[in-house]
Amino acid sequence: MTDVVVVGSGPGGLHAAARLLEAGLRVVLLDFGNRDERYAPLIPRQPFSDLRRSDPAQHRYLLGDHFEGIPFGPVRVGAQLTPPRMHILADAPERQPVDAPDFSASMSLARGGLGAGWSAGVFPFSDDELDGMGFRVADLQPHYDAVAERIGVAGNHDDLERFLPPSPSMMPALELDSNAEVVWQRYQRARATLNARGFFLGQTRLAVCTRSHRGRGPYGYLDLDYWADPDRAVYRPQWTLDELLPAAGFTYLDRRFVRQFTERDGHVLVEAEDAASGAVEQHEARALVLAAGTFATARIVLRSLDRYDTAVPFVCNEYAYVPTLNLGMLGHPARDRRASLAQLTAMVQLEQPRRRVIQAQLFSYRSLLTFKLMKELPLPGRQSLRILRVLMPNFAILGIHHEDRPTPGKACVLRRGRDGAPDRLEITYRPTADEQAVQHADERLLLRFFRSLGCIPLKAIRPGHGSSIHYAGTFPITPHDTPLTCDRDGRLRGTRAVYLADGSVFPWLPPKGLTFNIMANADRVGLQLARALR
Amino acid sequence: MLGLCGLSTITPLPLATFAVRPRFVLSSAAVVPEPQADPATLEARLFARYLVGRVPPPDLVERYRDASRTIWGGGAAPAEDALLTFVHRHPWAVGPLDAATSLLRPGGLLRSRILTMAAILEASPAFADDFLPRSVSKGALAWQILASGAAASLQALIGLVLLPLARRARA
Repeated sequence: MTDVVVVGSGPGGLHAAARLLEAGLRVVLLDFGNRDERYAPLIPRQPFSDLRRSDPAQHRYLLGDHFEGIPFGPVRVGAQLTPPRMHILADAPERQPVDAPDFSASMSLARGGLGAGWSAGVFPFSDDELDGMGFRVADLQPHYDAVAERIGVAGNHDDLERFLPPSPSMMPALELDSNAEVVWQRYQRARATLNARGFFLGQTRLAVCTRSHRGRGPYGYLDLDYWADPDRAVYRPQWTLDELLPAAGFTYLDRRFVRQFTERDGHVLVEAEDAASGAVEQHEARALVLAAGTFATARIVLRSLDRYDTAVPFVCNEYAYVPTLNLGMLGHPARDRRASLAQLTAMVQLEQPRRRVIQAQLFSYRSLLTFKLMKELPLPGRQSLRILRVLMPNFAILGIHHEDRPTPGKACVLRRGRDGAPDRLEITYRPTADEQAVQHADERLLLRFFRSLGCIPLKAIRPGHGSSIHYAGTFPITPHDTPLTCDRDGRLRGTRAVYLADGSVFPWLPPKGLTFNIMANADRVGLQLARALR
Repeated sequence: MLGLCGLSTITPLPLATFAVRPRFVLSSAAVVPEPQADPATLEARLFARYLVGRVPPPDLVERYRDASRTIWGGGAAPAEDALLTFVHRHPWAVGPLDAATSLLRPGGLLRSRILTMAAILEASPAFADDFLPRSVSKGALAWQILASGAAASLQALIGLVLLPLARRARA
């Protein structure tokens, strides 16, 4: 028997495990652990434009050996996943079947989980945004700081600090690309007016090492972020796994698919299938930390507690892309040295009818390839190509996240599989008309601000429900002692020693990236559990 | 913080780059139908010529053949097949039909196959520069948009007339 079994090597599992190991506990981490071994070794460490002009094997990783990198049809959820990243979603649809006619549920059985494709945005929540969880930023701040040190965070001391408290270990921000630099300069000129109207702009805080840190980085500005992880400068949870592997007391078991848990005689028994042999194993521990990802954790919990056919809530940030024409870039050269990651983050502070923020991030477009944009234009291919080549340096793409709160139209239910078939998770996601009206109004407001910065919106693209890939809220932390919720420490009510450390515990989602908060909360859960077990 | 290091300069492009070339309004007229070539080979050459004005080397033609087998191995609807057959016989029609389908059937087979050839060309060093973004002056940008827009409109007009005929073409 071990002290703690942790399920999942995503952002939650590894940061909980790191804390438990620091406390001297024995940890077994069960993980399916898919990895890309086909494409990653092919990608040279070269700037994107050099690679494109010189590498004869580029078609393999740009398009995929089975041409899986050529998308057809409308923009869909996960459209930015390139062949070297597609392993992140592999095997999940077969092992974790979902019925979700109006929602795209992305689940991962990869080493690093969905975090293996994280866009690296770091957005700690505020007191308003932790509302209902029974703790405040002051409680989470040491964990934000610990995680920031572990993963490496780069950022600036700028106008975003009123929304995102600084981290003591923050590294210098990435250099802006040409597109963002033009927008930034315009913002500086109009800053006082825009701030007075509640609009603030700053450099996106990113989990990227801009200097050498824990054997990673510094970031090389190769513009390969959608394709590869050069120098491991951009954080992936598997870098933390690599650090933990040699630790005393740590056992990593991959190719394990966890089905359920039971509690008996003060211990937790975890049932897992060895995917290589098909054998079913039992792992015994004093406590269990579930961090398999919101939907996978829901499946395990509902099955283990025999709560089939019981609806649990969930939330997911709605997401829209808005390509804009950055007028300030017209006629200006674009630097080749750049990053594909978010450049700038805009926050708008609203006070009425309630205090909240709306948020957008600004990206440039290049390394996801031109042909993918060609299909979006209602023009013949030849003309699309000619126009896009000269327009692309002037495109500033806004990614807008919307907050999401539980409503009766958003729920998931586990249905028992028949005749040996796996259980199926039914996901319903129907936001109310009021919610959608607020989202559209928020988008209009943000776009008005960006127009004043010279960015003319061309088209709003809504890839559909689920497109943010931020899922949460199935077993929320709440002070109220109700079934299928978690207490302040992340312990699942109705269990003695089962803790949740992924998105499941966040009762609602502010319009910000969730991943960094999952890590910090997992660090907190790990620390609380370590104290309880010692 | 931001130095000039790595700045790519605005390259003045030769005027010819921006010219609307009449032969490409009825594009790929220079491609002579090759009855002896298999359909995928013919398409690869035709679409490359249409997109970037050059014939692809044999390895890219083979890659297109491979993509066709992998992606469309199961065949297509008769109307879609008829459109492709028409284009095989009348290479000059690819531009107008692409323009018309971009408006009426953006997810159709002809457009998907052109997109696939574009992807294959883009992912090859020899054609990378035909796809990499290029910074140009405001005047050149305006002219490129106007010229391409005019060419696209003309092609769409011809294509909209041609499309019903092409869909009825016999194999």
